[in-house]
Amino acid sequence: MPHVEVLPNSTSSVAPGWTYVVDTGYDPSKVAINPKNKKRVAAQPGGARGEHELSSRQQAAIARRIAELNRDNDPKQSIPVPGKTSTPKTQNARRIIQYQRQIKHWLDDEEAQLAQLQQAPQPRSATTASRIAAQPLRRSSTMISVPPTPSEATPGPAAATPISQRSHFEDDPLLSIERSMPPPLNPAELSALLTAPPLSYAASHVAPPPADGPPSRHFCDNCGYWGKIKCLKCGARVCGLECKDAHEATRCLKWA
Amino acid sequence: MPPKGSKKASAAAQTQTLVLDNGAYTLKAGLVSSASADPSYDDCTVIPNCIARSTRDKRTYVASELETCKDFGELAFRRPVERGFIVNWEAEKAIWENEFMGAGAGEGLRCDPKETNLLLTEKPNCPKELQKNCDEIVFEQFEFAAYYRCVGSTLNAYHPYGPDSLFSLPQECLLLIDTSYSDTTISPIYNGQLIQPAVRRLTVGGKLLTNYLKELSSLRHYNMMDETYLLNEAKEAVSFVAPSAQQFSRDLEWTWKGRLGDKRELDPSIVLDYVLPDYEQSIHGYARPHDPAKSRMRRGLQPVQGPKEDLLPLGNERFTVPELLFRPTDIGIQEVGLPAAIMESLSTLPEALKIGMLANVVVVGGNSLIPGFMERLESELRTLVPADYLLNIARAEDPIKHTWLGGARFASQRDRLKNVLVAKAEYDERGSGWLVRKFAGGG
Ligand SMILES: [Zn+2]
Ligand SMILES: [Zn+2]
Repeated sequence: MPHVEVLPNSTSSVAPGWTYVVDTGYDPSKVAINPKNKKRVAAQPGGARGEHELSSRQQAAIARRIAELNRDNDPKQSIPVPGKTSTPKTQNARRIIQYQRQIKHWLDDEEAQLAQLQQAPQPRSATTASRIAAQPLRRSSTMISVPPTPSEATPGPAAATPISQRSHFEDDPLLSIERSMPPPLNPAELSALLTAPPLSYAASHVAPPPADGPPSRHFCDNCGYWGKIKCLKCGARVCGLECKDAHEATRCLKWA
Repeated sequence: MPPKGSKKASAAAQTQTLVLDNGAYTLKAGLVSSASADPSYDDCTVIPNCIARSTRDKRTYVASELETCKDFGELAFRRPVERGFIVNWEAEKAIWENEFMGAGAGEGLRCDPKETNLLLTEKPNCPKELQKNCDEIVFEQFEFAAYYRCVGSTLNAYHPYGPDSLFSLPQECLLLIDTSYSDTTISPIYNGQLIQPAVRRLTVGGKLLTNYLKELSSLRHYNMMDETYLLNEAKEAVSFVAPSAQQFSRDLEWTWKGRLGDKRELDPSIVLDYVLPDYEQSIHGYARPHDPAKSRMRRGLQPVQGPKEDLLPLGNERFTVPELLFRPTDIGIQEVGLPAAIMESLSTLPEALKIGMLANVVVVGGNSLIPGFMERLESELRTLVPADYLLNIARAEDPIKHTWLGGARFASQRDRLKNVLVAKAEYDERGSGWLVRKFAGGG
């Protein structure tokens, strides 16, 4: 559950560079600073930094941190393969075994290739290329989940939109009984689903939470309790004065 | 339907198949013969898929050799699989050779690839270039007699529904959730075939959870950034998933230290001390009830008494870390949690399939073993699924080996296997571009 409580407005509390945050349920990057505190921010030396700049810096910092948490191998560390192993038997094998690339490079390549296919003129027939090229739209550009387009080769029934169908049922209680007896599987639709090519790795990720969903929660950067106070230098949250000191001594700006 | 095999494949098919579920964290492997009785979990060997180097004993451990390691302090890992895909073939080749072909290969795993079929799993949405690399190494370097590569999730359709089940295999509708080291994937499977456009993945997997706990512990207690092994062990020992968002809030309150001048008692049913191994007397850590006196000693607020030991107090870390599977936004990952992700995957399917999938949801992967995980998943999913739909969700009996066993069952049925295997001769004739297309379902 979102925590909307604000610390009691004690006198000693707000140090320069800090602000209490009322959790409005919006993404902090959009509501970067409680409007109430705007004047103070502007009046502070060094506090004139634009809200936008802070929030994009903060977003980049979060992205870096997640990349760090999601890393498979430490690029700074190389552990040689010990002992004797077989020598490569073909040119292909030699090339592949010698690759020192990391997953990031392969995934970047995949996205670059898809982007190229998208720009290329559409071939006359429904080829795999055109189908694949349609996919990255699903996430990489819009970040909105769009149901994948069935291949051009299977027009008609495959274009039935399950989403509108569903909301139709939900809207009309009289039709709800039909839900227990769904329309039988349309063979063309089924075959389109089963023959559709895979999504790209990037496109396979789930969508971000809807804007009207439960608000995101914020935690103390130091102890993990609710984060009620926001550091104006780096955007991190802390729970109180004790953790504020610890934050400033350790992690402040670490991710910025 | 699996891709049609060729005459050449059937002619070259061997009686023995190496079934290999090639995970980022562990390999699940076993030799299966088409003549053998129904295989079981016991036929599967779990092997670390890494090369580890200790700066302390200056030794390098390849895969199963890690069993002999006595000091996991500052142990560094090299993992050939990244994000679930085989990326570094220099390391993977060394591991396969060590485990399946070398003098040190375990009994029951050692094989001559020239006389063996390979059934190899991959994660969904593998980049084509990596698939091509994999196929080329399998045939050109290892020279397996015949080979089939497929998305591991699909093999779970070859488990009988129940011991007395009359249904034929593969299962008609299966929604397979794989929450493992690299990430968490959702795969709707129809008659053993993956419905590609409905596959979804969440960034959060066991690796990210361990790294998160490592980061938190380093910030709050000691620098543990080089102690991946230790923190992974601690995570497995103490993590739990809060039953609900409300309970999460409650637990967070009860594990808060309070404010200056208003200190709170910590809930002793949640806060633990994890006793760190010293690698002299002990190799592994363990958890025990939190002792506030020890914390004060550690911070120099009280004279040190009793045995010298290092403690890692764990409070909200126990449940905020695995919470990321349900609320990735807690650390800023812009993705919905697992229950909503499942619904997103299903939203691409026609109603009848959706109903079938929800009636048969199976969860595999190590994260499903975290206490409370299944209960939370089921209860949140129940609130998202229309009330008149049947929801059947279960964790596989052995969520680590279940995909392997499905593969072993598949491989033990000669006709099924024959249909999908590609022989080396055919690869030599038609090349790796053709093979990637063939395994993707095209001719
Ligand atoms: Zn705090
Ligand atoms: Zn800060």
